[in-house]
Parts: sequence; C-alpha cells; structure tokens
Amino acid sequence: MAATWVFVEVLNASPRNAARIRRAALFAALSMAAAWVLGGYWYVHYYSPEKAMILKGPWPFAHNLFMETKEHLFFATAILAFLLPIACREELYANAVARKLVLSVSAMVVITGLALEGAGAVIDHGVKVALLRGPGKGN
Amino acid sequence: MGFSLAAALTILLNTALAWAKDSYAPLNSFMKALTGHHWTTHGLVDLVVFFGLGLVFMKSPWIEKINPARVVPILIGSVVAASLGLGLWYVFF
Repeated sequence: MAATWVFVEVLNASPRNAARIRRAALFAALSMAAAWVLGGYWYVHYYSPEKAMILKGPWPFAHNLFMETKEHLFFATAILAFLLPIACREELYANAVARKLVLSVSAMVVITGLALEGAGAVIDHGVKVALLRGPGKGN
Repeated sequence: MGFSLAAALTILLNTALAWAKDSYAPLNSFMKALTGHHWTTHGLVDLVVFFGLGLVFMKSPWIEKINPARVVPILIGSVVAASLGLGLWYVFF
C-alpha cells in the first residue's frame, strides 16, 4: 500500500510533494523490513508443522510450488522496496529518468506483493484442505 | 543508478542461489548451519550483496558511462526473468 502511495505521488511529482514522496518511500521500505522480520520469524519457527500437513494433504503443490516460489520471490520484492527511498533522493519533478525508475520500482513492489499475497492464500488453503480431507486421500 | 544495478544483480543472484540450494544439498545444509535456517542466510546474503554492490557501484567511475535510460529496462528485465526462473523451477523440478 505504501508503494502504491509512492506511485501515485510520483505521477504528480512537483517540488511541493518531494518531501512527502521521500517519506512515503521510506515508510514502504520500513514496512517491508518489518514484514521480513515478523513474517520471517513466523516462517522459521512455526511453518514446519503446516508444511508437513500440506505435503501429506491433497494440495502438496501449495508448498512445493507456491511456498517455495513465495519464500524466494519475497526477497526480490524486499530489495525493490529498499531501493525506493534511495531512488527517491533524486529531484523527481525535474528528472524524467529518475521518475520513470521510481514509478517502475513502486509498480513492481505492488505487483510482486500481490503475487505473494495470492500465493499466501493458496498455501493457507493447502492447510485447510489437508485438515478437512485428511492426509493421503488424493485429489 | 548504482543501487538500481545492484538491485537487478541481487534479484538475479537470489534466483540463482535458490536453484543452487535446491540442486546441491550440502550448500543448503551449510546455509542452514550458518544461521539456523537456510532462508535466513539467503536473505542476509541478498542484503549484503545489494548494499555492498550498491556502494561499490556508486563509487565506480564506469557507472557514469551507462545510459541512465537503460537502467529501468534492465531492472524490469531482471525482475521478470528472476520471477519466471523461480516459478518455472518449482513447476518442473
């Protein structure tokens, strides 16, 4: 959401909103850092039992494809989010190339972030169907 | 511009490291031994590479020779390639 905020602000970049753009970009990066630490803590400490459940259930691809992709694609989203405040140090209202860069980076944070959310929903459902249908009952 | 190129390279390296971990179990075990979980080590490697390369590129004189307009396509290309690389890897392997 913070990356969407940056995107919209940069579409209307001017000297008046330059400081606000930098604050929004920093907020996006800090939010991503918080997601990394908090989500990472949960993943490292609590995901293993759910992984075992998913793999024994009717939707093993929820882990084998979606979680495996998600846990690694997350780093790309995070690196892009950390790039945002650095790219926003330029005077975006006067620099078309820098403006295009920030628009592209913020859009990619949003798109890959939504893909991660979608993958999370599939993983969550993988656990639910495993609990509902029990292990080893197939599709 | 230096950090944008660093981001593109880090994102590609991230996918390559995921492939390497899956293909070579001793690497996965080594990364797990370093921090307690391979994912934690993977993330730290990405962070060190991103900020390290960014600082190096920022101070490199050759970075000025790159056309700034090419940075956006390079970055978008790296994200698309890295994402497809991850998705297809876990579909087929």
